[in-house]
Parts: sequence; C-alpha cells; structure tokens
Amino acid sequence: MSAIIQASLTHTVFGFVRRLVGSPLNFVLTLIFAGLLAVALPPVIRWVITDAAFFPAVPESCKAISGACWSFVIAKHSQILFGIYPNDERWRPLIVCVLLIGLLVYSVRPSAWSKRLAWFWGGALISSWWLMGGGFGLTVVESDLWGGLPVTLILTVVAIGFGFPTGILLALARRSKLPVISLLATLFIEMTRALPLLSILFIASIMLPLMLPEELLPDKFFRALIALYLFASAYLSEVIRGGLQAIPKGQFEAGEAVGLSFAQLNAKIILPQAITVVIPALTNTIIVMIKNTSLVLVVGLFDLISSGKAALADPAWSSPSVETYLFITLIYFLLCFGFSRFADRMEQRAKAPAK
Amino acid sequence: MGELYPKQFWTRSRRDLAYQTLALLLLFGAVALVIVTASANLADRGIETGAEFLGDRAGFTLSETWLPYSPNDSNLWVVAVGIGNTLAIATIVAFFSTVLGLFVGIARISDNPLVLGLARGWVEIARNSPPILLLLFLYSFIGKILPTTDTAQFLPHVLVSQRGFAFPWLTLPVSAAWLAFGLTLGICATFAAGKAATRQQKRTGRRPAWAGWTAAFFAGLALIALAMTGNGIVIDLPVANGPDIEGGLIFSPEFFSLAVGLIFYTTGFVAEIIRTGLMSVPRGQWEAGYSLGLSRWQILRMVVIPQMLRVIIPPMNSQYINIVKNSTLVIAIGYADFMVVMGTMINKTSHAIEGTLIIIVTYLVINLTLSAVMNRLNRLVQVVER
Repeated sequence: MSAIIQASLTHTVFGFVRRLVGSPLNFVLTLIFAGLLAVALPPVIRWVITDAAFFPAVPESCKAISGACWSFVIAKHSQILFGIYPNDERWRPLIVCVLLIGLLVYSVRPSAWSKRLAWFWGGALISSWWLMGGGFGLTVVESDLWGGLPVTLILTVVAIGFGFPTGILLALARRSKLPVISLLATLFIEMTRALPLLSILFIASIMLPLMLPEELLPDKFFRALIALYLFASAYLSEVIRGGLQAIPKGQFEAGEAVGLSFAQLNAKIILPQAITVVIPALTNTIIVMIKNTSLVLVVGLFDLISSGKAALADPAWSSPSVETYLFITLIYFLLCFGFSRFADRMEQRAKAPAK
Repeated sequence: MGELYPKQFWTRSRRDLAYQTLALLLLFGAVALVIVTASANLADRGIETGAEFLGDRAGFTLSETWLPYSPNDSNLWVVAVGIGNTLAIATIVAFFSTVLGLFVGIARISDNPLVLGLARGWVEIARNSPPILLLLFLYSFIGKILPTTDTAQFLPHVLVSQRGFAFPWLTLPVSAAWLAFGLTLGICATFAAGKAATRQQKRTGRRPAWAGWTAAFFAGLALIALAMTGNGIVIDLPVANGPDIEGGLIFSPEFFSLAVGLIFYTTGFVAEIIRTGLMSVPRGQWEAGYSLGLSRWQILRMVVIPQMLRVIIPPMNSQYINIVKNSTLVIAIGYADFMVVMGTMINKTSHAIEGTLIIIVTYLVINLTLSAVMNRLNRLVQVVER
C-alpha cells in the first residue's frame, strides 16, 4: 500500500517538475517568471509582513516603520465594517451580515427553492430591518447611522430579492406575443443595460426629486435602492430570458395541450427548468451586483468605502489609505470569491450523475 | 340542445387587446403624472427648460482634457470634451486589455504551473474585486510612492514626480492631420497590395514574394517623407526641473492609475473570454491541420483563430460596452470623464432634465454604435450556411 502511495507521490512531484522545466519553452517561461517573482516578492513581503506594524494597535506603532500600518486596520476594523453605528450595538449589524450572507449562499441551491424560501427571505429581511433599526426591545438606531458592510449587503440582497421576480416578469413580457408589451419591456431592458450604473444612480438622485411630489420623495438610501433594483431586474431578466430560450418548444405545447393557463404553465413547467439552466449566469450576476454596490458612495451613501474614508480622516493616524483600501478590497474579494466557489461546487454536484 | 361551444365574450384576441390597452394606459398615466409634477416642481424652483443653455459660457475648469478646452467655451463644447475624455480612456483600456488578455488567456491553458498560477491569480483578483476599489487603491499607492519634492528617474529617460509619469516622445515635423492622412493612405495601400497578392495566389497557386514586404515598404516611404520635411523627426526627452517635468509625454498620476486599474480589471475578463474561445476549438482541428502538412502558425491563423473568433466576438462586444460603462468609475479619483462633466454642468446650470437626456442619448449612441460594428464583424466570421 505504502509503495503505491509513494509511487503516486513520486509521479506527482515528477510531473510537476517536468511541467515546469520539461520543454525548452516551459524552461524559459519558468526562468522568466521565477525571476520576476524573485524581484517582486521580497519587497512585497517586507512591506506586508516583516516591516509592518501590527500590535499594539495605536498610532505610535506606525511612526517609525517603513512597511504597512496594519495597526490602523486592526484599531479601526469595527468602524470600517459598521460605519458610525453606535459602539455598544455593533453586534446587531454583525448578526445581520451573517444572516444575509447565509441566506444568499442558501438560496443558490436548486434544492432550496420552494415556498419556504420566500418565507425565509421575508423573515430575514424583516428581522434585519428590526435588528438594524431597533424598536421592540432594542435601542432605536436611525438609518442615518447605518453604514459599512450591512448597508452593502442589504442593498445587494434587497435589489436582487425584488429584482428577481421583476426580472422573471420582464423576461416573460419581452418574449410575449403581444407587440406593445414586448416593445415596452425591451425598451426598458435595453435602456437600463446601455447606461452605466453610476449614471443610473446619478439620474435617480437628481431626477426623482423633480419627478415626484415632495411627500412621496424617498431618502438617499431608498433612491439608491430603487436604482439598484431597476438595474438588477434588467440584468436578471436577460439571464432568465436566456434560460427561457433554452427550453424546447414541445414543453410549451405540451403544457398548453393539457390545458394549463399561462401562469400555471410558466410557474410549474417552464420557469423551474429555465432557471436551473442559468444558475451559473445568475451567480455571476449576483457577484456583479455585490461589486456594483460599491458605487453607491458617489451618491453619498455610507457604504464600506465611505466608512473606510471616514476612518482615514482621524488626524491621530498618518492616513494609511493603501492599507485601508486593501482591507476593503479583501472583504469584497472574500465575499465574491467564496460565493462563486460555493456556486461552482453546487453546479458540479448538480451535474454529477445521481447515485 | 345548446351550442357545443358557447360564444364567449373574452376571446383570446379581445383579451390580448385589453391587456395591451391597459399597459399603454398605465404608461401614459405614469408619464402624465411625472410630467405634471415635474413641471410644477420646476416652476416652483424657477427653472426654465430648453436647449439655449448649451450656448452659454461653461465657466468651470477641468483638470485634464484631450480636446482643447477653456472655461470660456460653451456648454455644448464641454459635453464634447467630456465625451472625448471618456472615449480616450475607453480606447486605451480596450486596446491594452485586449492585447494583455490574449496573453493571459493563453497562459490560462499553459501546462507550466507557475505561468498558470500567476494567470489564474490575475483573473480571480480581477473578477472578484470591485473596480472602483482597484482604482482607489492604485491611486493612493501611486500617491505614496511618487517622490514629493523632486523628480526621480525610473528607467533611462522615464521620469516620475508629483506631476506624473513622463516618457520620451517623438516630435514630428508635420501636423497631426497630415500624419493621419498618410497613415490612412499607407494602410489602404497595404490592404490593396494584399488583395492583389491573394488574387495572384488564386490564379497561379503561389503567393508573390513581395506580398509580405508591402507594409514595410510603405512604412519606409513614410519615414523618408517625414525625414525630408524640414527638421526631421526629433525625439522629445523629458527633462527634470525640480519637481516639474518639461517635454516628453506626461501622464498625470490620476490618468495613470485609472488606466492601469481599468486595464488590469478588464484584462481578467478578456482572458476568460479568450480561454473559452481557445478551448472551444476541438483538438481534432489541430491534428487535421498537421496531417494536411500545415505549420503550427498556419493552423493557428487559418484553422483555429477563425473558429475561435466565432465564439469570442459576442462576449467581447459586451466587454467593450462594459469598458465604456466602467470608465465612469474614474469619478472616484477625479478625472473629468463624461459623467463628471455632466454632473458639474447640471449642478451649475440646474438643467437636470436636459442633462439627463444628453447622458442617456450619448451612452445609447456610443453603445449601439459599438454593438453595430461588432455585429458586422460577427457576421463576417460566422459560418456561411447555404
């Protein structure tokens, strides 16, 4: 037994080395890139680890160093993550973050799709609202004080959660045989997709005050939410339309032949198949939406970047902006990368033959 | 006995008509409501609507423009300057990320673990981080490493200071218009020569030997022409003067970090598209090419790339549109792109509705033009079915 293990280990190691230096081309490539790494890595490692300041997390520890000032990130991590949310209550946004990330991860599995999922979403959104805003036994926290990661996640989750059903309706409308309905849906989708999200956010923030009466005017948070929701529904609808196109015509005809109504046909036969087909594209769209919420800072919303900038404004520290932006990028990276890895695994499992 | 099929009032066609009428009524109602409130709101604030403001003096400064601009120019010209800046950055990013993406995409299917790992790292970082953060990070990073009080030499004749990055550049003795004219003429002549060579190849079976040298011939001709006009070609080297740099081609720190950041980001996506394209061509195509006696380069050029283009052109189309859309992110580091210019103009003139219309129309025109060009290209490479 151990001989087999040893043999396969030798094989792996030998294969690795052979692929590194086996052919002339690979030898030259390895030489070039190993040389580049040898030049580039030591300064990076010095800056990130050996010359960097970690503890104690006070401004003085960053004074005499040439590396990164991680002390700042360590000292301010709570402010960067949760903005100006009251200090004693920060366990509440923490729970909200965990809840929403868990919900997103839970929802990409086809086996989770049932009526129960809608209840979970409703419950999670209401309890997030309660945890963030307070009342009913918790201290009330005004929405002006919300900030950081929970804002990013709430915007993502709500935009996708409401954008998904709207996207389904838009996709069905665009494929409708009724010319007026399909034209209107196409116009909306193509307009939204042609504009950068930033300009949609901008237009929402300057046009809504002009278009709506004073009493109906939503605040900054809801204006951004509306823009993100419209954006998400246009993109999701195109993904879903792709799935609808993949369904053979016979499925529609069979449904009509057994006398199902339009709603029954789509809800029971077409959509479950169509959505399963486009799960990879859906997870991509969700990642794009998570990344896109970083843009709400331009309309003055207090997301992760804004709270990072606010933390940087502390005069006691020497404004270590590079480290702060790296930290925020890392948070986004972990969210998106983890999510895409999880979705890949689910896809592989769905593809594997049933046992 | 009643009728077998009782006559119903709501036949399918009547119902369809009713739905569509309802949709139109709802739309008109919403539009009417918006127009009424908007005009009431505008009247309240004493704002007039109309296009006359486009002729007024703009009156604000822009940090960096590709088209000539001064605050005394009209608002209409400011819009053009903004579009020019957006297109400039989008073109640069599209060009470099396509070239780099080609290499990174090929590296993604390399069997060398080191090359593979680096390419994979690039793609994953680009695809999983928000581009605006990449820009912010790069900008603050460049701000930290640039020398504060004087100029440093980065490579021979490449200088860096707070003003930016200065590269050696050529000063040409003729105007840009003549240069563009000559370039167009040369390219057209090269294409015509190529066509003629192909015709001869079809007739005689041999490609004439001069076919490969035509481009070099026309380039040489152009160089001689340039050298003969007046001062000839002068290399313009940047010269340091304290923290100031004179001469050469200077990129500001803002422009440099947003170009590098967006190129890095887009390259990750282009690489994935190229990889998909390469993997879509079956191995058998290569083997069939070898058995016909074609060389590696010939197979790549005549068999693999034409089939790969079919797969990659539609996603590249959306990628180029994404570049135009992502170029709005430069707002984070203060480069005056189209959106920044429009925002400033709307704030100054309060012509929000007209400004919004200009924004929507401009992006629609840019993106539809891009799509039309790419769709034409796509039709050229698709299989012609009879």
